[in-house]
Amino acid sequence: MKKHTLFAALLAVSTAAGSASADDKPTAPISVRRLNDLHNDKAVRHRRLLLRNRFEFTPLFESTINADFQHTIGGGLKLEYHISDMWSIGVVGVYGTSIHTGLVDKLVSGPAALPTMPDGRQPSQEQFLDHLNQMPIHGAAYISLTPWYGKLAAFSAAYVAFDFYFQGGVSFASLTGNCPTTVCSDMAPGQPRPNPMPGGENLPPDNDPNNDPPLNTGGRAGLYLAGGLHVFLNDFLALDLSVRDYAFSDNPSGADFNADRFVGQNTKTGEDDNRFLHHLFFGAGVAIMFPTTIKRTP
Amino acid sequence: MIVALGLLTSTALAAPKKGGKGGGTASAPKGGGAGGGSASGGDSGEIEMDQPAGGGGGGSAAAGGGGGGSGVDSGDIQMDEDQTKPGDLSADLAASDQANATVKTGPVKKTPLSWKDIVVVVRKPFLKVRRTELYPFVGTTMNDNMIRHESIGGEFNYYLTDVLAIGVEGQYMVHNFNEPYDLVARQARRLPTLNQYNWETALDFHYVPVYGKFAVLDKKLITWEAYFTAGIGVGQSEVVPRDTKYPGFTNFLIEPNIGASMRFFLAKWLTVNIGVRDYVFVDKFEPTDRVMYPTSTLAQDHADSSLINNIMFQAGLSFWLPTSFEYTTFR
Repeated sequence: MKKHTLFAALLAVSTAAGSASADDKPTAPISVRRLNDLHNDKAVRHRRLLLRNRFEFTPLFESTINADFQHTIGGGLKLEYHISDMWSIGVVGVYGTSIHTGLVDKLVSGPAALPTMPDGRQPSQEQFLDHLNQMPIHGAAYISLTPWYGKLAAFSAAYVAFDFYFQGGVSFASLTGNCPTTVCSDMAPGQPRPNPMPGGENLPPDNDPNNDPPLNTGGRAGLYLAGGLHVFLNDFLALDLSVRDYAFSDNPSGADFNADRFVGQNTKTGEDDNRFLHHLFFGAGVAIMFPTTIKRTP
Repeated sequence: MIVALGLLTSTALAAPKKGGKGGGTASAPKGGGAGGGSASGGDSGEIEMDQPAGGGGGGSAAAGGGGGGSGVDSGDIQMDEDQTKPGDLSADLAASDQANATVKTGPVKKTPLSWKDIVVVVRKPFLKVRRTELYPFVGTTMNDNMIRHESIGGEFNYYLTDVLAIGVEGQYMVHNFNEPYDLVARQARRLPTLNQYNWETALDFHYVPVYGKFAVLDKKLITWEAYFTAGIGVGQSEVVPRDTKYPGFTNFLIEPNIGASMRFFLAKWLTVNIGVRDYVFVDKFEPTDRVMYPTSTLAQDHADSSLINNIMFQAGLSFWLPTSFEYTTFR
């Protein structure tokens, strides 16, 4: 009974309060009422053409995702021309620097570190590090499809346009390495070695891949796939977030991959220690659209 | 006058079925209507939504509730004004600016209502408040290049409001090794120290700050939203012995998690969810000098600890109960 009485009292108070607020609350003039951006918007509007016939200039930052031995981080530029709302063509290029991954750090320091000198089939720290390659330059030329566009509300306050895009094309990369001849001393990996004794038979291969040149440098070309989104901050500025896959032949460790005990082309199997690898990057940039003014649908 | 306008506006939005006086528009329905004049006193200009043309219902009474219903029948919506004119965005915007300027600088004038005065606010196409989400999902690890875990699991969430939910989750995981696991062993002659994750469960809170819609190939509109998750839970990891001669051991983990996800609405009872979740915990790994600690208890006592971020991508279908919902606001 007490509960019912209390409930009734609460209900009465809340009803009274509600009535009071509804009846007595002075209605502020429109000029002083808090209004959001939607106040001045039309109910049904012609769509803003944020992409069509516009040139996109995007300074960007990129970082590898899940690299095995060397992270690549860097900055670059994306240039793209939007032929229509959906289709565009462009190029992207990035200059980057390399940082050791946690795996490399564990192999050169700590309780499981590699020896400082070659020990049987174990590479030395110097051999291991000198075989790793780096990717100072990479990029792609692509065709882009933007099949999804829309708008979103964040915290019921910010209303922004966005679109999702997908890209496909060709990738390129420049791979570098620095393995001095004092470390990569085997000039004929997998081949019989000349006998230092005059007239003697050739010696068998040394079967030590740790002193072979890594063969993981030079220019590479391959496939490029990417997906991302633009979040438009205004008519000509957009946040550009993407995941890019530059896929080409590579051997990041520079070591023997196919277990034939040397690094290089195996004449019997035709296999190479390079293989087709995906290099995933996360990218973030600010897209600047030209012209800076937009048109609307007729 | 300003108060009157405010009342007019709010009433028009919230209660479209009242009578009242208007300005006597040209196209107002005429009719006898010796209606009872049930108008709300001197309040005016409200929209008559269902008054039959020419009818004599009492709803359209004139001021004072006289119920004349004749010539100055009021508050009706002009429907034919713009129908013959082609759309002109710039003209509309200019007119809107001019109208706003008038409101800001001068006294408010009563004008007849038309469709132009109605702000169209599209209702959210999907309501979640007081509904339950059953979300079976599959997942995979994203940030470990040695071992990949794949999971199957589920969430059970209850939405307290349309943007806030509380729920529980659980998942069972299996693992397989990636290429670097073998490469390190063959090339560097080192056996990686790894743990596998067996299961995880957590209490979660979800907050939905972002919603929107997008067009797919200019043909279909899809509504979506983004939400953040934070939770606290427990889980189990298990050492993968470098040498199978030595037994592994399991760890009981306290696992806070945070995440961000997106939900795409397919039907009133069905959504597609994708998201990323970071499970953070301190894990214990097999000691490097395992030979010194042959038993699992000794090994666990001398285990190496490390802070782990297990980032997982998850995707699945959500089923919503009740399977439908009703709006509580006017269209």
